[in-house]
Amino acid sequence: MADPGHDNDFPDPSSFDDESSVISTRGLEAFGRKVTTTASHLMATRTDPGSNPHYQNAMSEVHRQLRRPALQRGMFSMTRTTPTDMVRSRLSTKEIQSRALSYVPDEMLQNIPDADSSYSLFQGFQASFPDFTDEGKKHRRRVSRGRKLIDERPTTPDGSPESVQKLKKEKASMMHQLEMLGIRKNMASSEIREVDARIENLAGMRRIVLDRLANLEQDEAILEHDIVDVEERLEEAQELAAEVESVALRTPTKTDEDAASERGDAPGFMSESIYEKLPSANSTPSKRKPRNVRRKSMPILHEHFEPGTMIRSMRAHHDSITALDFDAPFGLMVSAAMDDSVRVWDLNAGRCIGVLEGHTASVRTLQVTDNILATGSMDATIRLWDLSRAHYDPQGSHFGKEEDDEDAIAFGNPDDPPVDPPAGSMSDCPLFTLQAHLDEITALHFRDNVLVSGSADKTLRQWDLEKGRCVQTLDVMWAAAQASALSTSDDTWRQTARAPDMSADFVGALQVFESALACGTADGMVRLWDLRSGQVHRSLVGHTGPVTCLQFDDVHLVTGSLDRSIRIWDLRTGSIYDAYAYEHPITSMMFDARRIVCAAGEDVVKVYDKVEGRHWDCGAGIAEADEGKGPAVVERVRMRDGYMVEGRRDGIVGVWTC
Amino acid sequence: MTQLPYAIDAETALNPAELAVLRAQYEKEGDMVGVQTKFNYAWGLVKSNTRHEQHLGVMLLSEIFRTSPERRRECLYYLALGNYKLGNYGDARKYNDLLLDKEPGNLQATNLRALVDDKVAKEGLMGVAIVSGVAVVAGIVGGVLLRNFGRKR
Repeated sequence: MADPGHDNDFPDPSSFDDESSVISTRGLEAFGRKVTTTASHLMATRTDPGSNPHYQNAMSEVHRQLRRPALQRGMFSMTRTTPTDMVRSRLSTKEIQSRALSYVPDEMLQNIPDADSSYSLFQGFQASFPDFTDEGKKHRRRVSRGRKLIDERPTTPDGSPESVQKLKKEKASMMHQLEMLGIRKNMASSEIREVDARIENLAGMRRIVLDRLANLEQDEAILEHDIVDVEERLEEAQELAAEVESVALRTPTKTDEDAASERGDAPGFMSESIYEKLPSANSTPSKRKPRNVRRKSMPILHEHFEPGTMIRSMRAHHDSITALDFDAPFGLMVSAAMDDSVRVWDLNAGRCIGVLEGHTASVRTLQVTDNILATGSMDATIRLWDLSRAHYDPQGSHFGKEEDDEDAIAFGNPDDPPVDPPAGSMSDCPLFTLQAHLDEITALHFRDNVLVSGSADKTLRQWDLEKGRCVQTLDVMWAAAQASALSTSDDTWRQTARAPDMSADFVGALQVFESALACGTADGMVRLWDLRSGQVHRSLVGHTGPVTCLQFDDVHLVTGSLDRSIRIWDLRTGSIYDAYAYEHPITSMMFDARRIVCAAGEDVVKVYDKVEGRHWDCGAGIAEADEGKGPAVVERVRMRDGYMVEGRRDGIVGVWTC
Repeated sequence: MTQLPYAIDAETALNPAELAVLRAQYEKEGDMVGVQTKFNYAWGLVKSNTRHEQHLGVMLLSEIFRTSPERRRECLYYLALGNYKLGNYGDARKYNDLLLDKEPGNLQATNLRALVDDKVAKEGLMGVAIVSGVAVVAGIVGGVLLRNFGRKR
């Protein structure tokens, strides 16, 4: 028959009739009738009104239009909504409010992307809805499984139409369940994608905030430095004013020195020699105060870095680092190396502040606390320094060379030669020298005014920093003999104690806290002393090699030894609390509330996370392993509040978070 | 299985316990609420019979519309349905027509359009009846008053 396009050419028979009736001419009418009849004859064979969609559509359209009263159509074809709606949307405040809340801007209505998700939210609702009311998926599955097992037996044998019906029904319901499960699967996976996107988003936000924090900290540091400056000037001005006043009040015979000194009559109580060694009373507090202001704003940036991130790497020395310490994260660091130099660093800028000169041999041990530095050297002397008296501007205005490229310095190439600080920047720092030991100083520790040093002459000395002199000398061998004599089981003690290893330091490490002193020695013993009696009150036996490092807090004592092990002791009972070992001898160790870090003869620092119970490596060895150049072995490590500094055999110092 | 619910589906309210479960889930997820959870709660609210809850449901739906572009198309339908239930036929028609522009063959949307048309026609007629009734009454009263005035004079 004709193609479908053809019968579109013919108008509807009914409408054709209508049209022809309008024409009045008789002849035309007859002709029209003829055409109509032939057309309807031609079409009747196939244009069954029931099967022709066009016809049906047209008719239903006409029908719908006819069904509606003409008046109503006329009234409401223009309106889009009902009067009640209109009244509501204009008069009721509550309605207006809620409409405003659920208002969708037009540009959003224009911007509707194609739906690409495999299920609609409604399907998701349907799929998850049984979960809310039933007791979960598992329960439902068990029920359906059970039902299947019960039904299976009676339905399989007979082939009656009911059983077929039943099976069909069951199949349909199972298919439905399968579909549901598919949707739920899709839901779960799209939810995961959503969460991933959100995590990414949050990570981006974190980066931005971290940058902001870094900037704030930088600003803070600069401002603090300015505050220090202003305070200094204020003090000077006040002093000057006081001087002028006192000059005006007192008789002109008084000298300036006496007026400036806050405790003008103090020298009378002391001998001249000791007085000279003391830090001058009026300058120390004035310098220390601003530093204390600085402490109040603790840098926290490093806590937000990913553990194991490198903050900075500096070529500090040309030879192996022998000792290293810093006072606070982003604070001051002091490093000593085999090249006999001692350098002071600003960790914030990564810049050398100055070189401390005085020791005639290389420094083996040092400690920085509150701007006070103690160094113990192979020349058998201990020197104390006040680092707050250094002439240093954190903003680097007096190093002309660095000003230009501060970033290049801050994140500088570790292979760059150390920038030489101006000579004499540290000339005011030396406080005094403690001389009494007969051999090199291998360990020292101070707290408040008590300093204890250990030397290769097999003695420990306790110093009073107020007076600057030796308070008592503890002979380790004698005390050990005493302790063994007092001990009831001296035979077993003798057996476990090794002969001192001559290559290792006799006193490997020590720490003092008020009258308590712990020291680790080359025979592998850790001794706990009471400084009031000068006696060993407990010996911790366990290490089979020289003890090289030691630290205690209120509960635990942690020791590291050349026997490759770290031991954690319970301070109250003296028993082993925990122990673990690495592949090489431990040369340095430090712990805080969360982790124990140690240098164990590798190019990385070994970190033990106490909270997570996890061992991991931190340091240059990980990143540079791929590049094929092995960094040098880490010799010394210090860590405070997750801010770690490590010194290597090639003189490079790395700063990390952990 | 249909992609979108028919208008009938929105007429059957959930029981309070079910709605409470949906609400609890929505509140548990807090600020980081997922689209599906939000929709579940919103749909439960739209199905409700109290006008206040329906409002809240439509508000949540519009939030989904604003925040997740990939769901906008289907959200048009939900919004249309929600507004239809609220009796905001203007908005309902706006959303529904937008959806029908994009998907002319959408059965649910076609169905909804017919429903909206019917409702508008019916309520409109009623409105006309009321207005004309009032007018007639006013006319009668006015006429009576005028007559009274006339008599007094």
